[in-house]
Amino acid sequence: MTNREFITELCRVTGEETEDIFIRGRRAGWLEAEDELDPELDIARKQQARILHMYLLKEKKIPDLKDISKAYELKDLFDCRVCANHVAQVYCRGIMDAKNLMKNGRFLWFDLEGIDDDHAIRTHLSRLEDFLS
Amino acid sequence: MDNIRPSDIDDKRLRFDSFDGHSDEIFKKKQRLPAMGWNSWNAFGSGNNEELTRAMIDKIKELELDKLGYRYIVLDDGCYKPERVNGRLQPDDVKFPSGFKAMADYVHSNDLKFGMYNDIGTKLCSGAEVGIFGYEKVDCEDYIRWDIDFIKVDNCYYMWDNATFADPSNAKYSYAPNIKSILAEGKILSAVKDAKITGSRAEIRGDYVSFIGTFDGTAPDHTPVGSRSSEVIFELESDTDKETDIIVNYATGEEEGVGQWLQVAVGNEIFFDDMLPATASAETFTDSDPIRILLKAGRNLIRIMNHRRQENTLHSYAEIKNELINAGGDKDIIFSICEWGKTQPQDWGHKVGDSWRILNDITFQVGADGEHGTAAWESDYTTSITSQYNKCVIMDEFASPLRGWNDPDMLVIGMDGINETMNKSHMAMWCMMNSPLMLGMDLRRVKRGDPIYRLISDEDLIGLDQDALGVQAKRIFTTYRCDAPDKEYIRDNKRIDVLAKPLSDGSVALGFFNLDTSDRNDNVSISVDVIYSALGHKMIAPERFKNASSYKITDLITKEENTVTGKTFRIDSIRGCDCKVIKITPVV
Repeated sequence: MTNREFITELCRVTGEETEDIFIRGRRAGWLEAEDELDPELDIARKQQARILHMYLLKEKKIPDLKDISKAYELKDLFDCRVCANHVAQVYCRGIMDAKNLMKNGRFLWFDLEGIDDDHAIRTHLSRLEDFLS
Repeated sequence: MDNIRPSDIDDKRLRFDSFDGHSDEIFKKKQRLPAMGWNSWNAFGSGNNEELTRAMIDKIKELELDKLGYRYIVLDDGCYKPERVNGRLQPDDVKFPSGFKAMADYVHSNDLKFGMYNDIGTKLCSGAEVGIFGYEKVDCEDYIRWDIDFIKVDNCYYMWDNATFADPSNAKYSYAPNIKSILAEGKILSAVKDAKITGSRAEIRGDYVSFIGTFDGTAPDHTPVGSRSSEVIFELESDTDKETDIIVNYATGEEEGVGQWLQVAVGNEIFFDDMLPATASAETFTDSDPIRILLKAGRNLIRIMNHRRQENTLHSYAEIKNELINAGGDKDIIFSICEWGKTQPQDWGHKVGDSWRILNDITFQVGADGEHGTAAWESDYTTSITSQYNKCVIMDEFASPLRGWNDPDMLVIGMDGINETMNKSHMAMWCMMNSPLMLGMDLRRVKRGDPIYRLISDEDLIGLDQDALGVQAKRIFTTYRCDAPDKEYIRDNKRIDVLAKPLSDGSVALGFFNLDTSDRNDNVSISVDVIYSALGHKMIAPERFKNASSYKITDLITKEENTVTGKTFRIDSIRGCDCKVIKITPVV
């Protein structure tokens, strides 16, 4: 799913108008210039996390969770400083999940640069919808 | 970006062997005290914009914080367009529609100083593809055109380092290959049996040595004190001065601890500084081509090493500093190195910067407009007040007005997650440690006279930070059992620390800090002799301090004053996370 398709799908599940969404989202602070610059790129997991978190914060005015200690189990949480809070907020709320890379044990990996298939992305959006309802 | 490689380093002043010296500085540096101001990151993250920045400036003027020294207004990550336009940096047109020069003009019209941000890598930490790598000249021209007074330079997506926010395979540049032996003067010398290994980074693995390089200091796991790099050193006698060839038996890799870049030196003369051909694996050893070296009559030390992790990073920062000077002449610009302690900048930061970050960020839970962000008193990683303090407090010998300042990151006062007591100790710690004082909160929540205002405007605490003598406090005692409180890296917070800081008027500030979240009833007593013994050589009038018949004691937080004739200063109890900071002035 591309950045544009993801944002369109987000608008669909939340009831947002799609017209001028890039400029409205940037002004509201939940979209960034890079989303508009590269709308046809496949959306990476860290971008999903950012957009979903910032949509909750800026558009829905839902304050951040203060306790993000559950996200500390993600081994790559601090691999991207600007992503860390976005990832933690959607992970702790159960909107996005992580992969366990160990067969017999626990090594949780958020996979910041990963590209999800459409089914996984729709699951995230569905969880967001549930969270908001 | 294919087929590029680290720059050749012809200037010996950029070399590891020059890090200790002061006589061979690269740039004429201005002696200065730690910078003070406001930085956008903790308050607004990538969401900072022109309107918010103007609001912060207006608030600084309203609260008259500038008169207390908070003068630098720094735009952090998130302010640029995510790609260059015709090779130049551009402001994000939604966030900064009036442009950076207009922002600078507004800052300067308020008699404040303007700061901006970039990164030595190819991208900023936000992912915006506008890192300064390869664009040093044009970007510095633009920064001068935008009239900056301060630049913070980050370290994400750096081309020549493998750790944290970089490509792990870059380890090929930051570590030497595994080394089994060298062939010199017809003799095979084993790295394990015949060589001396310096520093604590290298590891012996069977019949070879690995991890020949420099510790990554981004995370809080390792002490900053002592040798942070390792070399393998062979001793070789020679009858005469002569040229000879050595052959190195090595195996390369591209992972933490094993790389491909080798440096060979005899004494302080470097004879090889380049990539070796890759081997099939990190345990498949092969012989190098002959490396020509010059032996001197007598004892020679052949050093097998790779200091490029530090040298490359210094080189990149120096290139930016150089281009700022080329574009701006002697314009006074504070240079804030933000490489998070990764390459031990306490060793080399003084050559380029006015301060150097010592760890990764103090919080990742940054705020947004309407959201304060969250900080913590303690954590296992770098993300807390005590994580930063615990490292910075043993780094006092690296700091001075001439060298520059250890930077334990921006203040988190005003963020959620920390209470008034923690805020107070945080401010007092940073001031005792001569840290840059960059406010990181939404100042619109501050009102004159409220607790946050009283703390950030406390002239006695700020006076410690900005004291003209410029001596970072030394930890002279801790209730944690250790032999060297000023050197030992302690991460167990169940303790009280005592810091002492000589001041320019001949007095000494003494700070008792309870790192523990629980109240403590320890009786902690510090004598004049202990202070004199630890810091007499840095004091203005040490004998006067030592031999005074009485002392005026000023509590710098409660402002209470009294005079004592005793020679000890004590606490009997202290609340969790609390501190007591007194100024001891000798009365003759």
